[in-house]
Amino acid sequence: MSLFRIEWSSGLFHSGGFRAIGEFAVAVFRPNLSTDVLDAALRASWTTVAYAFTGLSAALAIGFPLGVLGSGVLTRSPGLRRASIAGTRFSLASLRSIHELVWAWLFVVAFGLSPIAAVLALGIPYGGILGRIFSELLQDVPEAPLRALRAAGASEWRVFWHGRLPMALPDMLSYTFYRLECGVRSATIMSFVGLGGLGLQIQLALDDLAYERVWTSLFFLIGLVVVVDLWSTMVRRRLTT
Amino acid sequence: MTAALSKNSASIAVQLSGVGKHYGDLEAVAPLSLDIEPGETVAFLGPSGSGKTTLLLLTSGQLQPTAGRIHLNGLDLADLRPGPQLARLVGMIHQQFDLVPHLSALHNVLAGRLGQWGFSKALLSLMWPQDRDAGMGALARVGLQDRAHLRASHLSGGEQQRVAIARLLVQNPAVILADEPVASLDPARAGETLRLLIDIARESKKTLVASMHSVELARLHFVRLIGVRNGVVQFDLPSAQVTEEMLNDLYRLEGLREGEAVGGASAPDGNSAGRLPLESVPYRMEQRPLP
Repeated sequence: MSLFRIEWSSGLFHSGGFRAIGEFAVAVFRPNLSTDVLDAALRASWTTVAYAFTGLSAALAIGFPLGVLGSGVLTRSPGLRRASIAGTRFSLASLRSIHELVWAWLFVVAFGLSPIAAVLALGIPYGGILGRIFSELLQDVPEAPLRALRAAGASEWRVFWHGRLPMALPDMLSYTFYRLECGVRSATIMSFVGLGGLGLQIQLALDDLAYERVWTSLFFLIGLVVVVDLWSTMVRRRLTT
Repeated sequence: MTAALSKNSASIAVQLSGVGKHYGDLEAVAPLSLDIEPGETVAFLGPSGSGKTTLLLLTSGQLQPTAGRIHLNGLDLADLRPGPQLARLVGMIHQQFDLVPHLSALHNVLAGRLGQWGFSKALLSLMWPQDRDAGMGALARVGLQDRAHLRASHLSGGEQQRVAIARLLVQNPAVILADEPVASLDPARAGETLRLLIDIARESKKTLVASMHSVELARLHFVRLIGVRNGVVQFDLPSAQVTEEMLNDLYRLEGLREGEAVGGASAPDGNSAGRLPLESVPYRMEQRPLP
């Protein structure tokens, strides 16, 4: 149904578009591998990775405490629990309902083209997403081992550290890694608002219609995502076996 | 048994007075009274759904009775909140062991101390296990000191239940409750693990109250057996005085209703309706005379 809501026919249409796509597609076989292009791509990758990591660290700093509060697991009183869940879920929803690009644009206006803008732009919506997922993972832990800890006289805080968190941790970690992967992609987009990194290289190359250079950067991007994926598999395997 | 003890309530380990539990119209446990002396080993017997587990949960304070009072060592359970004090009075192990699978055996054992530790000590223990000697001692008692640093999920069922027993040792409650503690283990492991539990209860003079799936194991290891059926106590006797007749009555099927048809298809000699010879119930097989 939603397909019919889009007015396909209207709007500007670029008559040379198909040819451009063809050229772009052919360029995949001959990416520009000259040293200065590779050097620029490598530096840009480094910037993008740095943004992704610091952004995700900020997201964890926001998402973990909010996730714990949003799961309502630290209290046995049903009233407090409901209040904690409702309040936190609302703030988490508002954090993540605004896209990182919008945050980036906002922070660039506020701080100028500084790395702080990129880190906050990534950290805030990602914090909202992590918090939401963490709170659900923490709630969905099997109850029986927790009951055993309570029977040993443990308070909910101790049950959290010695039961809930260890049981939820592998899933929380693997989701965080997935988000890191998304973070690499988002950090790339981020540079379209002027924050540097792989996205900037892609944009510059596109402006020059130098598709070979575009592909160089894209291959670096794919490489980054694959590396994050491999790393997450390794960590997860160590944690679950 | 322990006739020398005076009968004031402080010297009774577990005292149920008119304790009953119902969920809406469904009566899980009909009001009953019973005393269990310190150091006694008692097993509840009865078909599934008879109220054994409910009785244990009531005694552990995890369920509130709808009638009557429960005293442990003379203390009224109704006055006790879940927490360290209750944990010193009563501890429970379950059929499914209930360990935290991602933590090491040692960490799981030390969880028995969580109620007694301050908050920072509890946090620190995640990195550097605190009260290590107590934990290792308990693991040694159940014969698992060499498994201390393995994840609980890497242990076999029998080993996991022994870790749960070691956790209880570290918690050190006066009364140990065990809900079908060995029902999910294979027969050889079951006997051995139950023996260990009973020995530990005896040597530390703890009261042990269990619900048992296997009649054989219960008769072999427990001093006193209490038969429960539909929430009503059928018999409460020293093990030696429990007869086949009573057990037959306890487990007889009521017109083979759904869910109760344990081995119902194999009533071989057309016994009188609803009466199943115990020999045809699978868990009795080990007791048959060898040819």
